[in-house]
Amino acid sequence: MSVDYQPKIIGFLCNWCSYAGADMAGTSRITYPSNIRIIRVPCSGRVDPLFIAKCFKEGADGVFIAGCHPGDCHYVEGNYYARRRFVLMGSLLEYLGIEKERYQVEWVSASEGKKFTQLVSAFTDKVAGLGPRAEGQ
Amino acid sequence: MDENIINQIREKAKELLSSGTVECVIGYEAGTDGMTSRPAFIYEASDVERLVFDNTCTHNLATYLINKKTNKVAVVVKPCDARGINVLLSERQIEREKVYVIGIVCQGVVPVSWSGSGKDLQMRCKLCNQHAPVIYDFLIGEPAVEPVPTVSPWTSVAEMESKSSAEKTDYWNKQFSKCIRCYACRQVCMGCYCKECFVELLDPEWVGIKIDTSENSMWNMIRAFHLSGRCIGCGECARVCPVDIPLGLLNMKLAKEVAEHFEYRAGLSAEVRAPLATFNKEENLGIGE
Amino acid sequence: MTKTISKKELASWLDGLMKDRNLIAPALADQQTVFKPVASVDEIAFDFKNTALSPKEWFFPTTEPLFTIYQKDGVTELQPIDIEKESVVFGIRPCDAAGMKLLDKVFLAPPADAMYAERREKTTLIGLACSEAAPQCFCTSMGSSPGNAGDVDIMLAEVGEGYTVEAVTEKGNALISNLKLSDSNESAPEVKCPAELQVKDVSKAMQTRFEDDYWSRVADRCVHCNICAYVCPNCHCFDIRDYPTSEKTERIRCWDSCQSPGFTRAAGGHTPRPTKASRLRQRFYHKLLYFPERFGDYQCTGCGRCVALCPVNIDIREIITDIQKPGVKSGTKA
Repeated sequence: MSVDYQPKIIGFLCNWCSYAGADMAGTSRITYPSNIRIIRVPCSGRVDPLFIAKCFKEGADGVFIAGCHPGDCHYVEGNYYARRRFVLMGSLLEYLGIEKERYQVEWVSASEGKKFTQLVSAFTDKVAGLGPRAEGQ
Repeated sequence: MDENIINQIREKAKELLSSGTVECVIGYEAGTDGMTSRPAFIYEASDVERLVFDNTCTHNLATYLINKKTNKVAVVVKPCDARGINVLLSERQIEREKVYVIGIVCQGVVPVSWSGSGKDLQMRCKLCNQHAPVIYDFLIGEPAVEPVPTVSPWTSVAEMESKSSAEKTDYWNKQFSKCIRCYACRQVCMGCYCKECFVELLDPEWVGIKIDTSENSMWNMIRAFHLSGRCIGCGECARVCPVDIPLGLLNMKLAKEVAEHFEYRAGLSAEVRAPLATFNKEENLGIGE
Repeated sequence: MTKTISKKELASWLDGLMKDRNLIAPALADQQTVFKPVASVDEIAFDFKNTALSPKEWFFPTTEPLFTIYQKDGVTELQPIDIEKESVVFGIRPCDAAGMKLLDKVFLAPPADAMYAERREKTTLIGLACSEAAPQCFCTSMGSSPGNAGDVDIMLAEVGEGYTVEAVTEKGNALISNLKLSDSNESAPEVKCPAELQVKDVSKAMQTRFEDDYWSRVADRCVHCNICAYVCPNCHCFDIRDYPTSEKTERIRCWDSCQSPGFTRAAGGHTPRPTKASRLRQRFYHKLLYFPERFGDYQCTGCGRCVALCPVNIDIREIITDIQKPGVKSGTKA
């Protein structure tokens, strides 16, 4: 694997917590890998498994999803529903041959700017370590 | 063919039609190959002699209820199909009062293709632990003590899980590359009743019209996902696939996950919500640890 | 007197053809026999009744780009797709070859479809007579036969340890010109289809039964998948869509089927064929009335694939028979 390999990572962040967490990382001037392309969603519950499948189909190397901690959902229970969906989607992806390291779901609050950067850095390293996705994967 | 079952179906159908209780009886009749059966729609009491039942009655007739919602209909179901009725009821797709369920205590069906059927039972029938319907208005046959299957229903899934990512990718790409996107898997499925399927949406276009491995994978992956916790394992999708994609292997994987995480099996009751339509605050499911 | 070739010679001839041509032949793919490009004669399946899918996809692919549009420095350039190599389709059955003739009527009628015409022009059809009929076969009722050589360039039929060879067209003659054939008095045994249908009054009957309840009763059972259209050697409907990226736009053509609900949907949402019965009826009216009215032949060659693969046993043979009897209900064995 070439040292220049930069994985493409798509991040789905909840507007009410993780997106603000990423913002906080920015205003606090904490750096994190620019491999992640962030898409702001109103709730982790908005992340349809179709989005995840579409990311991988269009060539993403990893998909990172972050939402409010259980109990903190702005819409009270969006992340509870999402949690079940994400678990099933994760096992389906793995079953179809997409390594489980390429897909991660986390809970990040608006105040956890540092946690956000740590998670994204670790995830990026992990995905980079896998190298580019196999042809046709 | 069990004459006793057939006679009971015919008698019941005759009674329901002549009394005007139902508009139509959905059952099985002999197919044109003279060997296997096919779905039948009986509207007149004088036609009940067409109805049959044998071990080639593999079709899940619960599928047809979605298109027969206006007037009351009767439907002949095997235990697996009966669970399909529960799924439709729990998802408010049909009304209980408009369906008269003729349940059959089933001894299993054989693999069926036109002009040829196997002798040995279908694998799902060999593993079946529910030979009596979970919902019915009229029951044909005597429920017996259920056998305890000695083989895990997840054997084939576990085998696939044990492969490496590269092997899995290779396997599924080969399977999905065969897909001609006829959507027969969707059309025969009692759980696929969306008026507009995601695959046909134009804006956004989630799945392109190109019939190639990449688009086909997207279709097959999301089709399976949309059935997670809802698939009752009737095996119709895999049976009708003209290019023999093992769709059951995908559905079974999700059924296994649902069973392991949520201790849930689709269609056992019309009163419970499917696992993805509800939640439990206390579970953490391994996320955000 | 017939000309014959031994199995060994046939293999080496096909091997030779492969040098400068694509050879598309029946081959085993995951337990199904389908037409696919083969790299060696060993891959070819000789022992099959008919392939799971028809060979039409080699002339009218499931998906094909029609052309690509590039835009650079204010100049728009349209780049057609090149089909450079000659091809040979080996092992086509007479019913499927008859299907090609019907596709020709549609795609080669002026203005001819450029892609189809070019593929057709550059492809030689080598027919293989059936040595056994499948239960769903009814080609003899639809104007063909298991040994019909009328729609191919070269016809082969298995006899003993070899094949009889008949060059039907100029194209076929050119291909076998260097071939050493032996004279023989043998001819392939005649093969019979399991059923003979009465078809002569079908179109007439169809004209009077458009509003008949019969179609709703058959449609009750139909699940409206696209299997029948996609496995049919004659169905030819397609959809076209443009796929733009930042550098280019591709225009794609894909198979489509009159059985899918979106098929006739117009801008604004109106669908002229909104019910399942109207869509099912369209299939049979097109095959048994509209096509014969326009082109003179039934749009069915009796390959029986739709019969065998329909998930719910919608059987065109039954419909052909039923529709000629007045007042028949679906499923009644009259």
